[in-house]
Amino acid sequence: MTGTIPPFSGFGLGLRKEHHEAFLTAQQPVDFVEVISENFMACGGRPLATLEAVRERYPVILHGVSLSLGADQQPDRAYLAELKTLARRIDPLWVSDHLCWTGLGGHNSHDLLPVPYTEEALARCIRNLTIAQDVLERPLLIENPSSYVSFPGSTLSEWQFLAELSAATGCYLLLDVNNIYVSSVNHGFDPLDFLRGIPTDRVRQIHLAGHSHGPEGMLIDTHDALVPDPVWQLYASAVERLGPVATMIERDDQIPPLADLLAELAEARGLSERVPA
Amino acid sequence: MTLAILQHAFLAEIAADDALPPSSAGMAIYRNAYRGRLSDALATGFERTRRWVGEEAFEQAAAHYILTHPPHRWTLDLFGEAFPGLLGTLFADDPEVAELAWLEWQLQQAFAALDAPVLTATDLAEASLSEEDWARLRFIPAPGFAARQVDCDVVTLWPLLQDEAASSAPARLPESGWLIVWRQDFSPHYRLLDPAEGAALVALAGGASFGEVAARVGADGLQQFGAWFAGWLAEGLFSAMELT
Repeated sequence: MTGTIPPFSGFGLGLRKEHHEAFLTAQQPVDFVEVISENFMACGGRPLATLEAVRERYPVILHGVSLSLGADQQPDRAYLAELKTLARRIDPLWVSDHLCWTGLGGHNSHDLLPVPYTEEALARCIRNLTIAQDVLERPLLIENPSSYVSFPGSTLSEWQFLAELSAATGCYLLLDVNNIYVSSVNHGFDPLDFLRGIPTDRVRQIHLAGHSHGPEGMLIDTHDALVPDPVWQLYASAVERLGPVATMIERDDQIPPLADLLAELAEARGLSERVPA
Repeated sequence: MTLAILQHAFLAEIAADDALPPSSAGMAIYRNAYRGRLSDALATGFERTRRWVGEEAFEQAAAHYILTHPPHRWTLDLFGEAFPGLLGTLFADDPEVAELAWLEWQLQQAFAALDAPVLTATDLAEASLSEEDWARLRFIPAPGFAARQVDCDVVTLWPLLQDEAASSAPARLPESGWLIVWRQDFSPHYRLLDPAEGAALVALAGGASFGEVAARVGADGLQQFGAWFAGWLAEGLFSAMELT
């Protein structure tokens, strides 16, 4: 698989159905929108027509949740075929998914489950991502998920794992700054080590989101709240290291009025402009 | 521990019932997320069915379904596909529950079904078909087309449940009818058909030829069959025809 994704800087939102009409009736101040790929795969009717109408007005990113890159089995070929059909139809800026597994042996959890950072898991991820990129005929962006357990057998850090994966497959990276923060609290690492450890030239996108507090001092990646101060601070550090990079607010639950999300996005834009290059 | 063993054990733990407590706070988060996501998928996918049976009964049925029907598709949108069938077992004395859930499920499937053209009477007229052609003609149903036999008047119950719970049970039909669902343009539709019309439509939509269905209807019913067929075309129930 060959292919490159040129840098694209700008500020966007995760498009949710509550805001479809607003995006279609007026031009919103965003440089791109991101949609969940699976919501538009193997479907027609109003959902697909809406996405095509949005695509006429804005660049679109396809963000997937079901590739199951880290599973001990090969990717679902029918899934990849449907994703390829959608990508051809939408001509997205890029296609992304997560460093996770979602199921095994016909049981799909519909969750982003954690991968042990072992050589065996890295080999599976490299094999599976290579298959996916070959079928899709494009390099993907891979996002770091939040996690709530770690595995005693891990021999690599998450950032080392991502760096190795990118070097071996040519994939790019999507940094979810909230997820870096959540995992750093849950697993006790310095989030700046994460930023220092990833290959900056492979990062093409940043997600910003909020989280909630769980048991035993753990943070949970609920993506249902305002971006909190520690995440803004980490974002500033990320921009300092990466330079301009496509950034978006990702709200998955408790969807507020569009104006609230645009205000948060303006904050990201302002912070990015204030950070010294 | 190999990756395969680790992942099978992980899945088993998050999908287990509470007789097996989670092994850590982190695993409890994954288990809660798994159940919560599946439970939400059923609650939003079967909103009116939930209103009809009540929150407590619905949640018990949903918890049973989550344990007995682990999701196996890449899309969460199809997780509830066997839920109407389970409700038919759990509410065996209240057949309207499964019928209502079936209607709710099929309307959502029709809403997002793959696009297809609509076959019109004009298309048929322009095809200049001979009598022999008509006998061999088969029809492809419209996007999201589905049909099932029902014993209760759930089409009267359905709109009553849009915003709040309804109080009285739907009437039993004098004889089993056919409930159909399909999509026209962007809108899902449903209609209750009498047994004769339903049987003819289901046969035609299921792949029987026009001639085969006409033979089943019989000479006395041919005029009625023609009227039904004209109505089905006007409703956009077919997307294509095939000469085989």
